Amino acid sequence: MGLLTNLKDSISRAASTLFSEEDPKRIGIYGPPNAGKTTLANRIARDWTGDAVGPESHVPHETRRARRKENVEIERDGKKVTIDIVDTPGVTTKVDYTEFLEHDMEKDDAVRRSREATEGVAEAMHWLREDVDGVIYVLDSATDPFTQVNTMLIGIIESQDLPVLILANKIDLEESSVQRIRNAYPQHETIPLSALEGDNMDEVYDKIAEYFG
Amino acid sequence: MPHQCTDCGRGFDDGSKEMLSGCPNCGGNKFQYQPEGADISETPDAEPPEPPGPDSTVARTVGKTAASVRDFVSGSAPDGDRPAEQSHLDADRSADSQPSDPSHTSGSPSTEPDRTSAAEDSAQASARGDIVEPDELPSDAPSASESEHQFRPVGADPDPPAEPEQEDRPDLEELRAELNDQFESIKVLEPGQYELNLMELYDREEYIIALQEDGHYSIQVPETIRSE
Repeated sequence: MGLLTNLKDSISRAASTLFSEEDPKRIGIYGPPNAGKTTLANRIARDWTGDAVGPESHVPHETRRARRKENVEIERDGKKVTIDIVDTPGVTTKVDYTEFLEHDMEKDDAVRRSREATEGVAEAMHWLREDVDGVIYVLDSATDPFTQVNTMLIGIIESQDLPVLILANKIDLEESSVQRIRNAYPQHETIPLSALEGDNMDEVYDKIAEYFG
Repeated sequence: MPHQCTDCGRGFDDGSKEMLSGCPNCGGNKFQYQPEGADISETPDAEPPEPPGPDSTVARTVGKTAASVRDFVSGSAPDGDRPAEQSHLDADRSADSQPSDPSHTSGSPSTEPDRTSAAEDSAQASARGDIVEPDELPSDAPSASESEHQFRPVGADPDPPAEPEQEDRPDLEELRAELNDQFESIKVLEPGQYELNLMELYDREEYIIALQEDGHYSIQVPETIRSE
């Protein structure tokens, strides 16, 4: 029951922060696996608090539990914006342990990772329902953004009337196409960046302050 | 031109049958729906489609997904009490149209009221009313790629009344089974292999916090239930 109790506590905490105006907005970083969500979360956390949110990896589903970094103060034009960043597991409709076997993983570990990733997606979807005040949607600009998962998630976010900032990540890659993302979701502003290289982070922070401040 | 090929940008009338066998220009099979009044530039090349309006495809797609799932669920188990013909009509309808025949509506409780609002143009009317003539389809219609997608060849089922999507519909049983499966929040194919229904996970009150190998879930019970 310990887990349940902890969970209940964290949910009540979440609920209490939702209803208090002074508390920082809780911003969920969502997107498909391997879009660079954790790299971005770490970049933001390191830039403004000095430490990281969690480990990054090329292996999909490295983040299998939502991780939070609280009270990240971002300064823009002399104004301070305080947010809580929630780095969520990559959302997908299929998780298969055999995918991890290619990354030199034993079967037992791969199966466990797969199970945890699935639980992580369930958690991320649940958080989206109740526990976030805004969304940073991270897409890998080197891949096709027209997917069922992206369309469905952005649709859900819109139906919740949550402010959403779409980030076209990985612009350092040759195959990157920011325009493809702009075309896919023209109703939202798309900001290009490379979270890994730190490219265009100034504009990202400007927009975070504008959207979630 | 409410539909536009996402590959070459060619536009199509609402409900146009031309799209059923892929874009005649480039063979593409992804089409973006452009709501009325959206400005589309018909570009010949790889230039991507113009934006739809703010009320656009996303919400529509989510709604459609939910509606399809609902239709199939209300259509019950694979051998349920609804005639097969009726069920696949609903499935087809959920994609784009409203019932034209009152006898269909009586059997489909999930018909959405808002589907009936849009004015239909001639392409829609034609798509709903006529059977596609064999010569309207490209001569190489049952190509290899189509049979991969399990489309039926034209005229495979001449018996039932005229229904537009008939000749190109995916295999019904398979589609139904897939949607029934998707209705579950998380389907355990085998330990380590899972399929997730995101809408279900999002919609459900309970929160799945742990999966067990035997297919059981641990859930967090909503406060309202727990206190009783």
